[in-house]
Amino acid sequence: MPTISINRDLLFSALGKCYSEEEFDELCFKFGIELDEVTSDKLIILKEQGTERSEGASEEVIYKIDIPANRYDLLCLEGLVQGLQVFLGETGFPPFKVIPSQTVPQRLIVKSSTCSIRPYAVAAVLRNIHFDQNTFNSFIDLQDKLHQNLCRKRSLVAIGTHDLDTVQGPFYYEALSPDSIKFQPLNQTKEFTASQLMDLYATDSHLRHYLPIIKDSPVYPVIKDSNGVVLSMPPIINGEHSKITLKTRNVFIECTATDLTKASIVLDTLVCMFSRYCQDQFTVEICEIETSQGGIKNYPILKTRQEKIDVNKINRMVGINEQADKVADLLTRMCLTATVAGNGCLSVTIPPTRHDIIHACDVYEDVAIAFGYNNIEKTLPSTNTIAAQFPLNKLSDQLRDQLAQAGFTEALTFSLCSKEDISDKLRKPLSSIPAVHVSNPKTLEFQVARSTLLPGLLKTIAANRKLPLPLKFFEVSDVVLKDRQRDVGARNCRKLCLVYYNKSPGFELVHGLLDRLMQLLEIPLDPTGTTGYSLKACDDATFFPGRCAHVVFAGATVGVLGVLHPEVVTSFDLNLPCSALELNVEPFL
Amino acid sequence: MAIAHGEKILKYLEENGKANSLRLSELWNEDHQKIVGTVKSLLCLGDVIEAELHSTVKWDLTEEGKQVTTHGSHEAQVYNAIPPSGSTQTEIMTQASILNAGFTKDMAKVGFSKAMSLGWIAVDKSSGAPKFIQKVSSIQDVVQEHLKELASGKNMLTNELRTEYKKRKLIQEIIVKSYEMKPGSSFSTSVTKQETDLTPEMITSGSWKTKEFKAYNLNALGTPVPRGHLHPLMKVRAEFRQIFLEMGFTEMPTNNYVESSFWNFDALFQPQQHPARDAHDTFFLADPATASDIPTDYMERVKNVHSHGGYGSQGYGYDWKVEEAKKNLLRTHTTAVSARMLYALAQGGFKPAKYFSIDRVFRNETLDATHLAEFHQIEGVIADYGLTLGNLIGVLYEFFRKLGIEKLRFKPAYNPYTEPSMEIFSYHPGLKKWVEIGNSGIFRPEMLLPMGLPEDVSVLAWGLSLERPTMIKYGYDNIRDLVGPKVNMQMVADNPLCRLDKHRGTEIKEPDYLQELDIRMDSILTRLRGIENEVSKLKKKDKGSPEKLTLVIEADPNYPPLSVQTLIRILMASRNAPVSVTIHQHSSLKKACSADLMQWAKSTISNVSRVDNLFNLTWIWKPVGPRPVAKVVNHYNGDICGETAVARLLARILESWTDCAFYENYDLNTTAEIDDWLDMWENCIQSGDPNFVVLINHIYNRLNCSDGRKWLTGVLPGTKSLADVFLSTVLGHKLNSDRAKEWLSRCNSF
Repeated sequence: MPTISINRDLLFSALGKCYSEEEFDELCFKFGIELDEVTSDKLIILKEQGTERSEGASEEVIYKIDIPANRYDLLCLEGLVQGLQVFLGETGFPPFKVIPSQTVPQRLIVKSSTCSIRPYAVAAVLRNIHFDQNTFNSFIDLQDKLHQNLCRKRSLVAIGTHDLDTVQGPFYYEALSPDSIKFQPLNQTKEFTASQLMDLYATDSHLRHYLPIIKDSPVYPVIKDSNGVVLSMPPIINGEHSKITLKTRNVFIECTATDLTKASIVLDTLVCMFSRYCQDQFTVEICEIETSQGGIKNYPILKTRQEKIDVNKINRMVGINEQADKVADLLTRMCLTATVAGNGCLSVTIPPTRHDIIHACDVYEDVAIAFGYNNIEKTLPSTNTIAAQFPLNKLSDQLRDQLAQAGFTEALTFSLCSKEDISDKLRKPLSSIPAVHVSNPKTLEFQVARSTLLPGLLKTIAANRKLPLPLKFFEVSDVVLKDRQRDVGARNCRKLCLVYYNKSPGFELVHGLLDRLMQLLEIPLDPTGTTGYSLKACDDATFFPGRCAHVVFAGATVGVLGVLHPEVVTSFDLNLPCSALELNVEPFL
Repeated sequence: MAIAHGEKILKYLEENGKANSLRLSELWNEDHQKIVGTVKSLLCLGDVIEAELHSTVKWDLTEEGKQVTTHGSHEAQVYNAIPPSGSTQTEIMTQASILNAGFTKDMAKVGFSKAMSLGWIAVDKSSGAPKFIQKVSSIQDVVQEHLKELASGKNMLTNELRTEYKKRKLIQEIIVKSYEMKPGSSFSTSVTKQETDLTPEMITSGSWKTKEFKAYNLNALGTPVPRGHLHPLMKVRAEFRQIFLEMGFTEMPTNNYVESSFWNFDALFQPQQHPARDAHDTFFLADPATASDIPTDYMERVKNVHSHGGYGSQGYGYDWKVEEAKKNLLRTHTTAVSARMLYALAQGGFKPAKYFSIDRVFRNETLDATHLAEFHQIEGVIADYGLTLGNLIGVLYEFFRKLGIEKLRFKPAYNPYTEPSMEIFSYHPGLKKWVEIGNSGIFRPEMLLPMGLPEDVSVLAWGLSLERPTMIKYGYDNIRDLVGPKVNMQMVADNPLCRLDKHRGTEIKEPDYLQELDIRMDSILTRLRGIENEVSKLKKKDKGSPEKLTLVIEADPNYPPLSVQTLIRILMASRNAPVSVTIHQHSSLKKACSADLMQWAKSTISNVSRVDNLFNLTWIWKPVGPRPVAKVVNHYNGDICGETAVARLLARILESWTDCAFYENYDLNTTAEIDDWLDMWENCIQSGDPNFVVLINHIYNRLNCSDGRKWLTGVLPGTKSLADVFLSTVLGHKLNSDRAKEWLSRCNSF
């Protein structure tokens, strides 16, 4: 969820009203955003860098506000104020308009060389704009917020804004080899080749994160004007030449992308938020994009969509009973201007700022929000169903109760562990274990899903060596095994594991508990192993030779018990004999 | 033996009414320890006798001292061993050990030196080799006489002699413990041996009828019972499971940790570029890396709805890739299973259903005290025709009511697979605010319709974590203390039942562990306070009388430290003890102090010497500026500068004299609050806020609040403390609100 920082006084002056912190918090809650923190530049610096650095920093109150991830239209002061004012019914929603150029429209020509790296570009022009320091900062901040969120850290979309009066169209978007791109990047005093820039920015705390997007490509994307002046090398950096300043009057906005839909949303959002500062408010000048296939498309799209929505359906979904005109009012307050269209339907206008409205259900939600979630009458569904337990869980719980009644204490250990835990430490080669491997573990503890419950229990003993002997622990839980029969190639297996740790191994005790479990499951001892259960001596590297047996049930091996091998004991930092039983629960269902 | 003695003692008690074990040992010429043993065994019989333990200090002879009583002191033995003609040291020592076999060389050494210094013997070197001769014709062995007297029970030794003999290891101090006895409430002169417990023989022979049995000590703890336990988290899981079952929900088979991206994300209409699908947040698998089998038709519908929309949706408009969907992962939520269940429900001909699950999910997150890479998710799902958001709200109220939570509030939220989405908040009475306890929503049509569910079917869902309510329920602040192999299993053993609805009605226990922490902190602080009190009481007992204090304070007449003066007056009034105050003016003052400056405090007594006074104050008016300086004579190192520092010192002294709570005798919170107030004043001075605007506003805010606060610090309504006395004194004339004036008058009546 993105968080935006807004100067409180600017916000209140834009809203035309001062709120107490509680009042504003309440308003946010209803609107679906969250006042996360109240702070100031000074406090932030104080917290991060100490008292000295904070001297002289601004003490103006800053509101940090959490915005839902799909509300790109609320990511800056302008959008937030517009959203809240409309929500409060204080203003209507402005009509955004794409206007033609008074002369020749700006054109951005996309070369096919970009296909392999960043194939899409869109553009627009904001004419006769007037920034002051606050709106200029907000313009920069919004680009940054969009880059971080909707643009997925510039991988999907990268925005470049330029002073149109410093460059000469038409513009060319192409992909060139890194050494053939040379320009003076933003805030640098000399020219660099693209390769040099990669080195320059390798240590830049901000830009280095974006380098991998193009670094290994043989060609880098670049936008130039008709004189060969480099505007930008997306998604890394703009050129110093076309830098926008407070004095800039005409802004050329380009977005390059790997996802055209998102590029268009980003462009729409940016121009809608800031066209208010143009001389001709809420208008954007069209740009022509010549695609690599040669066709011409006009941007920004700024599409306003009309949807017919059934009022009854809204009422039914939300669980309210409101008249059509009332529902239309509610929607209008959510920036979705609605009118009663007859036939029990509303005609809802979805403006270019609300790209999050992709289905009627999004409209229903906005009705519910405007109505107030907490004003909706609570009712119980009439759904009449008979409950059932998952049989495996039911059996597991019954067995857990019995194990606790037998004097064993339940441990709860992690499903993930290191490779070593399930192999070397248990004296088994990793290749022999059908374990599921994680590809991106952050630590050794998350390398594999456990294939046995034993390591977790032995670690639990190690952490509890100070308790009086004997230590008797158990766990009934799932392990994960590779299984080609399953769609995902792996399955869970419900295991029951118990350990007995004392000065003597206590094999007979663990054996006795197995007998008890079988008695509870009504399975007789049957040395032939065909119907009941039996023990068969076996070799298992984890256990001490001659002190280990398979549990055989109905002809199949379902578990193992024995005295742990001394090397297993010591590899878990233990020093006393230990007996263990691990049983597959599923055959007993 | 013991019994025989016991009866003897009881008989003696019957005749004499009381007895002393030492006296009896003398009387019967018995070893005292034996008598004591008998007394103890009598005490075990119950209330036959009452006995009180006395310990007395007694001087007794050491073994060496006993030797002196028979053979004379070491110096006398040396003297006696010297023949009239004198002899060498070796010969004398041989002779002495013939006279007394127990006479050692060390004793002889002492004997020689003592005899020399007493002038009993002398060295004669006239015949070459040095010889010792008797210098006097007879001696009086005072040491022997003294020790004999001591042995006979007379104790006439002076302190000096006693010390000397102790140093010579002739006598020693012994502590004699004796019992003073009298008959008890069930006194009897006959004693029978008590049996400890019933034996099979007694039952067979019937001898139990005549035996007496030793009473059990019911104050001791019993033997711990060997037992097993269930894990606390699983107990809370059982409770939630029970609630779902009571509400008619069927448990989903969630025993599949490995899931494909398709079921975990794509089926839920979560776009392939969604940040949750980053390797930063999700565990992807290296082996098995991909899923093999995704229902083809269904996958095609999912692909279409993502990339082009359909079912009334615009879609996300991107290039959906099957490779991305096939990537295996460890499921990030149990909603992946819900998706499979709903798909199955659609395939088999839809019937209304209610599902739940509580099982593990995995997040590749940064770990901290409240986050692990795996945790348990609780999920509830209802699928039926025509369900409404009002239904979801209604069900959530019922669900949380079973957990003992009655006050809910819902906040709009965003979630890729639910619309509408609601965050669930509950009111926390401790924190006095709403805290998030879960998430909920109605599944999107883009998720449900491709599955083949009928168009008018809605699916309500909500989820929360199991760990969080468990941590709240049992008061854990670190999740590693609850889950994982590092858990202390004694905790598992000691853990109580899980009854989530136990705190219903007015005392609702809200799930926020901050409050739990608060409560624990409070109880720890309360215990600390108790210990502090004990310690300070003990100290006081030890001290007997309060510490004496001699103080020199230098203050500037231009900046009279009013608070210090007030505190000194309070100190003087607090104990009715001799106090001397002298007020001087320093020669460096430019003009003489006015009379009231020179007489602001009066000595209570002046005719006693300063040494015996409890408190001596020398007050010097001197141009030191706004920061007065205090020097504690013979006590602390260094000067104490500034009005607040001096005030703190005086407050501490006041507390040590009177045992009242005024500053540091309060709990840590209050003390910190007091410090804050004093620091604020100090800050005003230092930052050049001569009018104390900030501070005065603080005081107004504090006092003008309509919560009934009477004092600046402490829990409502507050308690009078150093902060009140200090600030009312130094700022009193600047305050003019009504409440502040009320406060001032309260402050003045100490």
